Amino acid sequence: MPELDIKNVDLDDGITQVSLSGFLDAHTFEQLDESIGDLFNEGKFKLIIDLAGLEYISSAGAGVFIGSLAEAQENGGNIVITSTTPNVFEVFDLLGLTQIFSMVDDVESAKKVF
Amino acid sequence: MTGTSHKELIIPNLTKHLSSVRDAVTAVVQESEFPNTDMHRIILAVDEAVANIMEHAYENRDPESKLTINLMLDADSTKFEVRIQDSGKEFDPSDIQTPDIETHVAAGKRSGLGIFLMRQIMDEVKYTFVSGVKNELKMIKYVR
Repeated sequence: MPELDIKNVDLDDGITQVSLSGFLDAHTFEQLDESIGDLFNEGKFKLIIDLAGLEYISSAGAGVFIGSLAEAQENGGNIVITSTTPNVFEVFDLLGLTQIFSMVDDVESAKKVF
Repeated sequence: MTGTSHKELIIPNLTKHLSSVRDAVTAVVQESEFPNTDMHRIILAVDEAVANIMEHAYENRDPESKLTINLMLDADSTKFEVRIQDSGKEFDPSDIQTPDIETHVAAGKRSGLGIFLMRQIMDEVKYTFVSGVKNELKMIKYVR
């Protein structure tokens, strides 16, 4: 069964890189929701979401980022999306989220957004 | 007729089976003469439709649930068609208004975008009440 794998790595300047691989859909989104909730509880609000390994995302998955963005920004942070594959980028585009989120090509560029 | 493909699938009302739905859509498109260029979008639209039934029509997340969702998938060189049947609460997607994404994000709202995607991707999205079956959602994507 397709699953979601989440790896969190603390970078400099209070930034956390969240790397996702696998499938982010209505079955797995709660896993990510809990993981981001845990980061917020630890006071980590500057998140780089690395989607290089993500094979599939549905609206349930995108909903996690939508639901977290305002809280991150209210606490001096942000959610920056990076390294999307063409299919994953297409979902952000269809939902109009490319105008809402900072979306960059790689992690180094994402660090400069904060 | 050559170039056509048909599959029927019955899945339990559990989100872990969404991957089987996506696999079935992939197989039907690949086995037909329907062009692969729209495949990812169609997979997404069907996934969203089934996920919506699980969330709204059945509202039942019991892992022992006996509720099922039936899918009939057809593709040929001119169109892809899916009919999705469930016996849950009547749920008409046409009642749902198109969301304003900026308001959605500002409110931190996590759901409600699936129907928006289905409408954006598919050329026809029709809901009907079928006696003895209950809800049927038919979606069609035509080759341009």
